[in-house]
Amino acid sequence: MAKITIDGKTVEVKDGLTILQAAQEIGIDIPHFCYHPALSIAGNCRMCLVEVEKMPKLAIACATRVIDGMVVYTQSEKVKKARQAVLEFILINHPLDCPICDEAGECKLQNYTYIYGPGHSRFEEEKAHKPKRVPLGPNIVLDVERCIMCSRCVRFFDEIVKDPQLTFTQRGDRVVLTTFPGKRVDNPYSMNIIDICPVGALTSKDFRFKERTWNMTAVESVCPGCARGCNVYLWVRNNQILRITPRVNLEVNRYWMCDYGRFTYKPVNSDDRIKNPMIKVNGELVETDWEIAVETAASILKSVKPDEVAVLGSAYATNEDNYLLQKFAKSVLKTKYVDFLRHVKDGDEDNFLIRADKTPNSYGAYLVGVRSNNGFGFNEIVEGLRTKKFKVVYVMDDDIVLNDEIYSLLDEVKVIVHATNKNKTVEKADVVFASASFAEKEGTFTNFEGRVQKINIAVLPKDYEPWMLYKPRKFGEVKPNTGEINKANLALSRLFKFGTQFDRWASGERRNVKPSWWVIMQVANKLGAKFTYASSSDVFKEISETIREFKGLSYDLIGDEGAMINKN
Amino acid sequence: MESILIAILKAIIFILLFLTFSAVLTYVERRISAFIQDRLGPNRVGPFGLFQPIADVVKIIFKEEIIPANADRTLHTLAPIISLFVAYSVFAVLPIGEKLVIDGKEIKLVLADVNVGFLYILALSSLGVYGVTLSGWSSNNKYSLLGALRASAQMISYELSLGLSLVGVVLVSGSIQIDEIIRSQANVWNIFYQPVGFIIFLVSVFAETNRLPFDLPEAEPELVAGYHTEYSGMKFGAFYLAEYTNIITASLLVTAFFLGGWYFPFVDIYSGLNPNLSAILQVIVFFGKASLIIFLFMLVRWTLPRFRYDQLMRLGWQVLLPLALLNVLVTGLVKILL
Amino acid sequence: MTQTKIDGRAKTREIKRKANLNLLERLYLPEIFKGLSITFRQIFKPKFTFEYPDVKWQPPASFRGRPVLVVDDETGVERCVACGLCARVCPALAIEVVADETELDKERYPKKFEINMLRCIYCGLCEEVCPEEAIVMSKEYELVFTSREEAIFGKDKLLTPASKLKDRLEFLRKMR
Repeated sequence: MAKITIDGKTVEVKDGLTILQAAQEIGIDIPHFCYHPALSIAGNCRMCLVEVEKMPKLAIACATRVIDGMVVYTQSEKVKKARQAVLEFILINHPLDCPICDEAGECKLQNYTYIYGPGHSRFEEEKAHKPKRVPLGPNIVLDVERCIMCSRCVRFFDEIVKDPQLTFTQRGDRVVLTTFPGKRVDNPYSMNIIDICPVGALTSKDFRFKERTWNMTAVESVCPGCARGCNVYLWVRNNQILRITPRVNLEVNRYWMCDYGRFTYKPVNSDDRIKNPMIKVNGELVETDWEIAVETAASILKSVKPDEVAVLGSAYATNEDNYLLQKFAKSVLKTKYVDFLRHVKDGDEDNFLIRADKTPNSYGAYLVGVRSNNGFGFNEIVEGLRTKKFKVVYVMDDDIVLNDEIYSLLDEVKVIVHATNKNKTVEKADVVFASASFAEKEGTFTNFEGRVQKINIAVLPKDYEPWMLYKPRKFGEVKPNTGEINKANLALSRLFKFGTQFDRWASGERRNVKPSWWVIMQVANKLGAKFTYASSSDVFKEISETIREFKGLSYDLIGDEGAMINKN
Repeated sequence: MESILIAILKAIIFILLFLTFSAVLTYVERRISAFIQDRLGPNRVGPFGLFQPIADVVKIIFKEEIIPANADRTLHTLAPIISLFVAYSVFAVLPIGEKLVIDGKEIKLVLADVNVGFLYILALSSLGVYGVTLSGWSSNNKYSLLGALRASAQMISYELSLGLSLVGVVLVSGSIQIDEIIRSQANVWNIFYQPVGFIIFLVSVFAETNRLPFDLPEAEPELVAGYHTEYSGMKFGAFYLAEYTNIITASLLVTAFFLGGWYFPFVDIYSGLNPNLSAILQVIVFFGKASLIIFLFMLVRWTLPRFRYDQLMRLGWQVLLPLALLNVLVTGLVKILL
Repeated sequence: MTQTKIDGRAKTREIKRKANLNLLERLYLPEIFKGLSITFRQIFKPKFTFEYPDVKWQPPASFRGRPVLVVDDETGVERCVACGLCARVCPALAIEVVADETELDKERYPKKFEINMLRCIYCGLCEEVCPEEAIVMSKEYELVFTSREEAIFGKDKLLTPASKLKDRLEFLRKMR
């Protein structure tokens, strides 16, 4: 242990920490560009210079380890002057086009210049001109002029994914960030360099110039792209998700997420969304209201005997949805045929984040009771369809048409399906419940390790008003040890707060969709059950009371970071 | 038979005369108000905006009439009729000239030549308060009611000084017949005998007609529009017309009682003239003098701010009433002593 | 006698209370005549009325009419780079900007630029904050619309050539 004093605060920290880390531990933020907690220390930006007693010159806080009895000043006159000098140097060749730059609003250089900068420029000569709009790969565009040579991206490829793809060439003011000759930046994790880039040099092709950061509302959620369950922010404007960025969770995804996960918002915004419940009239699916759809489903289910109905849950749906589905199947429909489909892509897996199981909640669905015991699983259900054992198939949030045979077999039975987007099963359905996507409902996913994590409503369904969902967050909260400015500081955008029905920017599409647990409750109550859940947290409360693994868990406990199930 | 016909004809001519005069008055008042405020006023309908009153009348006739849901419909309709009726009844006894001679027949330029004209005017003008009070009461609106209450209190208070100030005139002229009072001023106007009476009468008349600075019943900043807040269309028009008719009548009364009626100042222009010609001249002179008083009404409107309610009451009871009594006393003493 | 401070300078002003009015003033009537004569004289003073639809007021360069987007004379496209600062600073949230990429040097341009004239309060903050001198307050003050939709002005109504906004642009440069 080392006892050090930073700006008059004395603190005891572990040996081997750097001054910057020690300062962060006691809530002092030392400005820095090249330092990133997950990367090796480069010490090339010189922004983190601090004054240390008995040291002849200023020292960089990111690379100086603490020594017992050290006295550090981060706000002294000398340090302030040094910061101004560093910023002036960086800004010599950095274009001053923040109005155009996409990073504006979440740019470290912009923030630090505003806080610590000299406020004026003495540079009258022509700035250096370098390549702009360089496509680095399928997803990334590079503007070399804006690069401040912090080398975070280079180190990311070298150290985190161990697949070197970027480097610097030339020296001095001619230095250029570039790929190796003939190579493209196409690593499945490549877009993380956009997030760690402290300036606007690396931008996303998908999101480039789409929206200013402060106009979007950031909502904590979990990526539905695979069983890892990376923590993410959904960035929403006008009821549309515009991008997904990773949310720091050192237990799950640390600071990263994969490129595939960043595009999981596309189906939510897509045109093939089911926007209203539908029923089949004369062989055609027609849109209707919830009352009629539930009524129709109930009348179909009323006429069948137990075990004439097969129920399929979903690894895409939440724990709550799956729990209520199996409860409905077992206590109301009294069928033994309950299972869910696994979507495993063998081989598409690595030892970093990406999992072969492409669903977010297969473990959770299994745990809450959607599982085949004693041979009443999916294969038996298909077999049952062949032998015409079933009269009704009830599918929640999944597409069970894996091949043409199942497609034609579904003609023989009545199909009730919950679906977010149009798919093959929907084509065969007699009743389609417009299901809320992961961005439109509240609930929990259980990842492959057994970590229960919460998803929140980011896109408003019909009948929801903004004030029902969002609480304005505190500004200026910096999470310890991350070194990154917390992007959720801008969480609730001004547009979102003050928009009215008469503003075009606040009247984005509201789909008439409902979470599956709510729909199941309606159908079950029509069939004589007495389900009384007011919200998904009520369902989760029952899960925590009845399922052994979930004992003691609650939404409060899960929080932003998630909580582990009881494995023993 | 013939006399009835003549009476009807006279009545129609009188009413038309007053209607036209009040219509023109609305235009003149708007123009003069505008000039006082460095504006131009209505100037787009016809030459110099002269047809503005016609446009106004057409507009007000075709305007939608709104009666509040909880209003007393009968009284609500009756109130403007009372106001208008009273306003038009007052000038029945007002002579506007001496007489016309047509086919050797004498036609007096007064609708009803009653010998108690003076009392009739006082009596009827007190009736005017009914129109205001009923309109305020029947509208079922607190602003209207407040306006009506103020109007009643104000009119009753100033009626006293109004009447008393005229007692001096009656004493000086020795008659209560209005044409006699006018004739008595052929040489010296009553204003010179009764300067205090004149001022008291003028102030009271301002109060009686609800004009600034005494327009508390319709004080816009506090009462929206006072007693006629809930009126629209022709009913509002009736109130409006009554107000302007009252102003004309009041000005004519001031002229008749204090400013020598139809007599031209300092020179006798009527002796030896053809009676018809002199009658026409008399009407012109009479209305000319009244117009000056009306102009004074307008000047006062844009000069003096509205009184506070307590100030209004104090002025009426503590200043004007004692002054009027004193005036009567002094006039009587002088009359006896001389 | 009261002391009132106006503009930091002490001014002694005599306020007439009832107590120190002289007899003539207390009589009230002479003062009324004084007032009436002032009112009367006012009738003959020159008038300041503009006969509006016939005669139109030409605003000075400092006038803040409806905000417009400047089309650059040289390039022929709007100067706006869709940075969204005007939308951010707008206290009434009248402005909506949707940006997109362009091949031009400026890289981004407003795909959609809408000002809701029902929300606009003509404060001119958008003009003040604009880094490109791309949105300026014009001299136009006659705005008529019959529906909410009509009141939302898109690029078609906002784009104005810089040559028509010379006065304002010069004024802005002078005031900078």
